[in-house]
Amino acid sequence: MFDLSSLSMAIEGGDREKSVQLTTEAISAGTNPKDIITNGLQAGMGAVGEKFSSGEYFLPDMLMAARAMKAALEVLAPLLEKTGIPTIGKAVIGTVEGDMHDIGKNVVATFLKGSGFEVFDLGLNVPDQKFIDEVKDKSPDILGLSALLTTTMPFMGRIIKALEAGGLRSGVKVIVGGAPITQDYANYIGADAYAHDGGKAIQVCKQLLGK
Amino acid sequence: MAMTQKQMILAVARGEHVDKLPFGARIDVWYNYHSAHKTLPEKYKGWSQTDILRDQGAGAQYRFPAVVKEEYKDMEFIEKNDPPYITTEYKTPVGTVSKKDLFDTSEGPWIRYEMEKIFKSEKDYPVIKYVMEHTIPVDNFEAFQKVRDEVGEDGMVMTGAGLLWSPVQRVMREMIGYEQFFYELADRPAEVEALIEAAKDLERRKLKVAVKCDLEIFNICANWSDDIQTPVFKKYFTPWFKEVSDLLHAHGRLAMAHTDGEMRRLNPLLRETEIDIAEAVTPAPQSLVPMTEFRRELGDNMVIWGGIPSILFEPMYSDEDFDNYVKNLFKEMAPGYRFIVGMGDNLPFDGDINRVGRVVELIEEYGKLPIEI
Repeated sequence: MFDLSSLSMAIEGGDREKSVQLTTEAISAGTNPKDIITNGLQAGMGAVGEKFSSGEYFLPDMLMAARAMKAALEVLAPLLEKTGIPTIGKAVIGTVEGDMHDIGKNVVATFLKGSGFEVFDLGLNVPDQKFIDEVKDKSPDILGLSALLTTTMPFMGRIIKALEAGGLRSGVKVIVGGAPITQDYANYIGADAYAHDGGKAIQVCKQLLGK
Repeated sequence: MAMTQKQMILAVARGEHVDKLPFGARIDVWYNYHSAHKTLPEKYKGWSQTDILRDQGAGAQYRFPAVVKEEYKDMEFIEKNDPPYITTEYKTPVGTVSKKDLFDTSEGPWIRYEMEKIFKSEKDYPVIKYVMEHTIPVDNFEAFQKVRDEVGEDGMVMTGAGLLWSPVQRVMREMIGYEQFFYELADRPAEVEALIEAAKDLERRKLKVAVKCDLEIFNICANWSDDIQTPVFKKYFTPWFKEVSDLLHAHGRLAMAHTDGEMRRLNPLLRETEIDIAEAVTPAPQSLVPMTEFRRELGDNMVIWGGIPSILFEPMYSDEDFDNYVKNLFKEMAPGYRFIVGMGDNLPFDGDINRVGRVVELIEEYGKLPIEI
């Protein structure tokens, strides 16, 4: 039986080459691809998220781990064509209209993917209606809204109101984040949750889904 | 004779004692937004930012891009302005690079966003390096002086030799992009370091021009946050800031960093940079760091400018919440000699402009120095 803890550690260390090599070896050893993802890649990303939240890791450590995971997933892709990647939930995420900042949003999107979420990243400067349309179309469990500016953060509340008006609010959990956002602000606009950083966002999203 | 707003801010920045807390307020996001949307309060329709701040009794903290402009030699420089986008192309003998910026102040912020970075692939390294090596710094003193005359003694014009970034940040954020920067640094460290050196060299040439201007405080780096506190900070950032701080101090000037982000991890390193002023300091509840922690980490030799997070000006906080926050802030900064009251970092577009005036009233009541607890 292939020891997936070594793959998990390679992801944790952001070692792309080793992650690809160990993934290839795990496949050759007959390991179930879903086990490789759960106990190798996602376990590694989970550890990275925890280390970031605890202050041991820096943002670039998360980026390097995410890149290693992406490369490993590419190796696994042909084996997952029929079954798809196992997911624990669906998330739509984007930076609100008028806001061109996406570092934090990208980190959260990457880590959601790495933690088993199916992620639809709408990018930055996303109009309210696009979020609403995507919630209608994709029926996500989570809607993630990001804003870095005090000028754009009120759009988060506007989107939540539009979800309510469209009868969509009860079907999706809304999580907000970004530099000026606080728990108080999340409460004020009626979001379900707030996360200060990428590591926390994963924990919070999982909690929202009872995982 | 009472000191002017500018004199008070400068005195505290230089470590001198004044009799009450100075206040430098920044309202450009609020002002730009409401000017563009024609929603300025009736009283302030047609007023300038500085006049509004005068009316509120606060010192102005006015932003100006830079006292040095960039010109280019031995290349074709083509800039197309197609609002809100500006596309720029640099045709050099070693290749062509281009970028696309979004620039529109109608929603508040006055900075350009790089929609399309100048760096797109490995082949761009020599071209970008060439562009920087053939960039000529020229003074922009006349335009700066015009703004400074308008503000006069009622505040400070905040600017520096470059635009927003220090050289390493410029490569990281403006040229390559944050995420790609770290991938490139892992894959092609020599090329990235060569680009950083070219950016530093350009900045040194800009500073040489800039110190001929009588600007008192140089903003040498903006938008600090824990995302730049990485394992590379000590290697690439700290030596640069020390070099620039030394240069400015040798010319009798002060160095300032615009530190409006999440600063818990950066604060211990900030003192090592020999920067004099941490400006736009943004404590909890907008960041994780309480003001007491800023004070403890930055020590008594560094001036803190800021302390009131933008969101406190939002309607979600009551007038009572606001007053209590500000009064407590003054107590936390007691005796208050190395503190300039300011915002982290701006009045939001839906903020209450009259709370700027309220800070002035609270200073009169509770901000006489030394503050006694």
